[in-house]
Amino acid sequence: MVTGQDTGRKGLVVGIWSKLLGQLQSSPKIQYTEVSASAAKERLKVALTYDRNGLEQGTVDSLREELVRLMAEHLDVHTEDVEVNIDQSTGPNRLVASIALRPLRRPRPTAAAATEAR
Amino acid sequence: MAGRVITVTSGKGGVGKTTFSANVSAALAALGKKTVAVDTDVGLRNLDIVMGLENRIVYDLVDVVEGRCRVQKAVIRDKRIDTLHLLPAAQTRDKTAVTPESMEKICAELREMFDFTIIDSPAGIERGFQNAVVGADEIVVITTPHVSAIRDADRVIGLVEAAEKQQISLVVNRLQPDMVRRGDMLDIPDMLEILSIPPLGIIPEDESIVTSSNKGELATRMPRSVAGQAYKNIARRILGEDVPFMSLESSESLLQWLKRMLKI
Repeated sequence: MVTGQDTGRKGLVVGIWSKLLGQLQSSPKIQYTEVSASAAKERLKVALTYDRNGLEQGTVDSLREELVRLMAEHLDVHTEDVEVNIDQSTGPNRLVASIALRPLRRPRPTAAAATEAR
Repeated sequence: MAGRVITVTSGKGGVGKTTFSANVSAALAALGKKTVAVDTDVGLRNLDIVMGLENRIVYDLVDVVEGRCRVQKAVIRDKRIDTLHLLPAAQTRDKTAVTPESMEKICAELREMFDFTIIDSPAGIERGFQNAVVGADEIVVITTPHVSAIRDADRVIGLVEAAEKQQISLVVNRLQPDMVRRGDMLDIPDMLEILSIPPLGIIPEDESIVTSSNKGELATRMPRSVAGQAYKNIARRILGEDVPFMSLESSESLLQWLKRMLKI
């Protein structure tokens, strides 16, 4: 017959053992997992910048899409060429759109064309 | 007398406004300052039960606002620390029973009666929050190292800065030093950088907060409570003393542990 005390003691032993095992298993893991505090800091910084300026990140994303569509009528731009950021470096905060220009790819003269020109 | 009125607020609920209000009030009172803790969470009052004064309420804040009694009559005197008092909130009404104008008037009265008036704000940024901050000279924003609490703290700081010219300071509650060391919890410098207001105190995660509030006792009156010590340090900083921030490397050093074991 198993008394209440016995099960209690058994439970304690199991508890300590699993705790030890847990320690052994989890301690090396900690070194490999990415620390989460830096992720928290980065996410907060971005979220608070938008909060403080009364903007939604999704709104800025769709604004970027629309900018690209509008500019594409005149320029060769793609979504990945456009960055829209909140600039807090000077005076009142500004929403800054920066458009990377694509270098023109001039068609290489063919050998035939080159000889003709000569 | 021209006392100081300090409002404790956070935006987010459950970060420790009530525990802070109760313990810092008790610590200020224990330092000989005539102090009143005011619960402005009308409809969801809790400061009374945390302070262990829930069975002594006769009149409340709304009774004062609606003219059924003078503020002196609604204030309860704590029997453990005779300089400690509580002005409880009403439980069966809602936030609209109090207006910012009436709170300003009550704060002006309390300022004449007490060295310190500590106002416990409800969660949120609506009427209850406005009631709590309108009559204050200083604002303490309390947060935990969680992204949700920090974001809400930032919102509250923005609202206070936009509306008033009150002095604002930051308290970080429930810090877990071992998690900070592993890089899994935001550290104090990170939070100060993000929120950019001066620090008033850091309170480590501590089980004695649960056990003391279970009994209606105050952690500041428990000699071994680390959080209680942090609250006492904050009270002294409020009084202008230059108290260094607690070393959070370990909550108790080996030497302190030995001393405690040997009772020296």
